[in-house]
Amino acid sequence: MVAARTFQAVDWYITEMSDNGSAAPVCLQIDQVWKIFGNRPERALTMAESGSTRADILKATGCTVGVRDVSFDVMRGETFVVMGLSGSGKSTLIRCASRLNEVTKGRVLLDGDDLTAMSEDELREVRRHKMSMVFQHFGLFPHRRVIDNAAYGLEVRGVDKGERIERAMEVLEVVGLKGWENHYPQQLSGGMQQRVGLARALTVDPEILFFDEPFSALDPLIRRDMQDELIRLQETLQRTIVFITHDFAEAIKLGDRIAIMKDGAFDQVGTAAEMITNPQTDYVREFTKDIPKTKVLTAASVLMDGDSTAATHRVHLEDTIESVLPHLLSDLSPVGVDDVEGTAVGIVDRQAVAHVLEAEE
Amino acid sequence: MTEALEAPVGVGARRLDRAAVSWLILGAGVIGLQLLFAGRTFPAIWDTLISGPIDQFEAWGRSNRLTHPLFTGFFQPVTDVINWGLTAIEESLLWLPWFVLPVAVFAIIARNGNWRSGVVAGLAMVYPGLVGLWEPTIETLALMGVSVLITVAIGVPLGVLAAFRFRFEQGMRPLLDAMQTIPAPVYFIPMLLFFGIGKVPAAVATVIYALPPVVRLTALGINKVPVAAVEASRVFGSTNRQTLVKVQAPMALPTIMTGVNQTIMMALGIVVLATLLAAGGLGQEVMDTLRLRRPGRGVAAGLAIVAVAMVLDRVSRSLAERDRSKQIDKRWVLGGLAVLGGLVVFGRATGAVAFPTVWGVRILDPLDAIVVWARDNLSFITRPLNDFVVADVLLPVRDFLLLSVAWPVLIFVTAWLAWKWKGMGLAIFSAVSLLVVGFIGMWELSIITLVQVIAAVLVSVAIAVPIGVWAGRRPKVEKALGPILDGLQTIPSFVYIIPVVMLFTIGQVPGLIASVLYAIVPGIRITALGIRQVPNESIEASQTFGATPRQTMLGVRIPLAAPTIMLGINQVIMMVLAMVIIAGLVGGGGLGFETVNAVVRNETGLGFEVGLAIVVMAMILDRITQSWAERLQPPATP
Ligand SMILES: Nc1ncnc2c1ncn2[C@@H]1O[C@H](COP(=O)(O)OP(=O)(O)OP(=O)(O)O)[C@@H](O)[C@H]1O
Ligand SMILES: [Mg+2]
Repeated sequence: MVAARTFQAVDWYITEMSDNGSAAPVCLQIDQVWKIFGNRPERALTMAESGSTRADILKATGCTVGVRDVSFDVMRGETFVVMGLSGSGKSTLIRCASRLNEVTKGRVLLDGDDLTAMSEDELREVRRHKMSMVFQHFGLFPHRRVIDNAAYGLEVRGVDKGERIERAMEVLEVVGLKGWENHYPQQLSGGMQQRVGLARALTVDPEILFFDEPFSALDPLIRRDMQDELIRLQETLQRTIVFITHDFAEAIKLGDRIAIMKDGAFDQVGTAAEMITNPQTDYVREFTKDIPKTKVLTAASVLMDGDSTAATHRVHLEDTIESVLPHLLSDLSPVGVDDVEGTAVGIVDRQAVAHVLEAEE
Repeated sequence: MTEALEAPVGVGARRLDRAAVSWLILGAGVIGLQLLFAGRTFPAIWDTLISGPIDQFEAWGRSNRLTHPLFTGFFQPVTDVINWGLTAIEESLLWLPWFVLPVAVFAIIARNGNWRSGVVAGLAMVYPGLVGLWEPTIETLALMGVSVLITVAIGVPLGVLAAFRFRFEQGMRPLLDAMQTIPAPVYFIPMLLFFGIGKVPAAVATVIYALPPVVRLTALGINKVPVAAVEASRVFGSTNRQTLVKVQAPMALPTIMTGVNQTIMMALGIVVLATLLAAGGLGQEVMDTLRLRRPGRGVAAGLAIVAVAMVLDRVSRSLAERDRSKQIDKRWVLGGLAVLGGLVVFGRATGAVAFPTVWGVRILDPLDAIVVWARDNLSFITRPLNDFVVADVLLPVRDFLLLSVAWPVLIFVTAWLAWKWKGMGLAIFSAVSLLVVGFIGMWELSIITLVQVIAAVLVSVAIAVPIGVWAGRRPKVEKALGPILDGLQTIPSFVYIIPVVMLFTIGQVPGLIASVLYAIVPGIRITALGIRQVPNESIEASQTFGATPRQTMLGVRIPLAAPTIMLGINQVIMMVLAMVIIAGLVGGGGLGFETVNAVVRNETGLGFEVGLAIVVMAMILDRITQSWAERLQPPATP
């Protein structure tokens, strides 16, 4: 059921993208992945496939179901966010995707190559050239200077010293650490340490970046800085990103699409707006409850057919309701909506906005 | 509801029954065995079971040393390599002008800004020369150097292996545990068999004895590297080798260096004892002066050992220090090396190489006189004390355990304790190994040693626990004691014997006093730690109920600290045992004295039997007291 829903979402996304004319091939494909921790995964797997709950399986077999039949695709250049409560299996999922954990069942395809079937050597090659990761507790090397931390990926790849230092310096400058390259990580603040983690991941110029709650250990102000920084970087770099968080606000801010995870499985996959206007489970509703909808929903989500030529105010499809509201309040008439090219596509009126805002109260 | 209440009562009642039964078993066993065996000595039916074959093997070895491949193909090459290393180090240290060494010691320590410590260590390095002991000191340093190099070369790879191969670690652990409980002189015995006497067997014994800390701490250091760092390394496509070399090893380095520091201190401890194997060096110097009745020189030589210990400790700690912010410029390092090089050239050019005779006999003779004077004038205390301890304590207790109590009773009681505190496995092990010790004819010697251990442990605990409790409650006291205890802990065990021998001449009592002095340090340390670790909330809870300080102490602090204090007592027992054995060197009697006899008279078979008895005693004492400490631990909350 969940899988089917996921594919719908993917289909929608592909259509959406191709409509815009920029075909985005799939970068990472997670195909019915299971991860079971413990000594008797086979039994646990049989039980789980016949529908037993996580708790029952734990009691009967002593095995923990970390990831339960999860499937999704991430397009090239997309930021895919996985969120869920502590223990829901987010880390396990991302670790399966990078094969830090072996999957119990299922496949992980990167550029169409099956990571789970690779030998150690093949896997190492892929890791050296295609992926990198940023960790929640940074995972920096305290015995190496910032510059040597950043250059690590190139170093293990065998790039010679001058070249890797040069490249690492460039990246350190991009993440705002110029001048700190000869310090040791302990001499830096938490936010700066995570910038080092980010630099280390970017230096190898990976196709895909895995982020496991990279900003959770930072305090709120620095966290916001880092989020903005990542958005800024992503605008120019256009990498494929899988990002884990337990903070829905962060998910909305960074994610093109969001998956909500519970007990090892996906509850719902979609855009932030979809989650808010149409939560498919109570768990999802719980997450989205405290999010100010006016900040997330856009004119597109309340768009109605209608003639907008008479409207005094005009907004774009992508504008948030928050920015549309003043126009609606200042004037009784509907607001006209244009798309990116400036063509009029419809209207938004008071009633429609009031309707979505009250929908699930 | 009622069911839930009833259940624990039932369990409690059953437990009571079991306790009663176990006491009944003890009573019945003791009385029955006493009646059956009273007045019979332990039949040494296996007298030659071990010594026979060993002596035969040794005789065979002696006549085949030059021909058999076991010797020509293995032991001889090993001997040659070690000998070569020893000579090389010793000769190059003696080739260097003497003042280079103290300056180098100073420079290494002071490079991190620890000027005072550097000056003190540099001066300490000069001291042995001042009292005319430069060459034996270099000899000791060379023996240490070779042994520590070999130990690290073997120990670090073993530690790495243990960190990566769980099975291997599992297999190593009991072996390392056992190695750490065995007193040093025992390691000399098997050396006789393969290497005879001299420096090489001393080096090999040192390597084996000093191996555990470096293996342990290497494995610990690597396991302690945060998983995130290791995974980060993997995710970037490092091979296992790259991860080990670039991430795990450098991050484990400070811990490994701590292991090396411990290894160095242990090596020094045994290298000075290797006078037994005629390995020369400072230990030999001490033994000779004692034998020649020149106690002042003995004290001077003992202090030289202390000085070397201090220098080695400071230098190895300083090398282990990895404070990144304190790192110094390469230019300073090069400058320092250039200065040292200049000193070498200067010394060689001017011929100022050997340590000049400074005071020579002028200071040493009066020193002898002073110590002799002190001994004679203190004999009004030392003589009666000695007589009292021997005649009124050690002998009566020994006779009681040896003659009045039938030997099976002692074995039974030991096994019962082992069973009660740990379980059937330890009980069987204790009983069987004690029987073997008796059957090979080591019972009487073991009892003599046991009596010494008990006496010294009782005195040590009576001193250490109160001081430890006091220090644990008063941070100021602990802070003041800290450096003294630190210093005492770096002094090799052998040195403790010197001052007491000076005052008491030889016999059992100086050994006991040295044991007490040696063992109270960890006793105080660990007791203070236990008291300090008692959670403040528990103390405050007790105080809010209006408990007096005394009530809080007896009712809360001591019970909560008891498991840790018990571990301290376990340490005290092991250290006392080690020292009682070492005291064999000065006529301490019992197993220790017999070890010395065996080594000196080259009775290797006897040596093995004594060694076995010591190992058995060490393991039983260690396991039983440790399980006692574990039982004092409050049950873990579910
Ligand atoms: N190596 C392991 N062995 C056994 N169980 C594990 C292991 N790693 C994770 N688990 C279990 O798998 C489940 C999911 O853990 P996971 O770390 O993926 O959660 P998470 O969503 O990342 O949580 P958090 O937000 O706290 O990081 C948990 O119940 C955890 O106990
Ligand atoms: Mg996690």
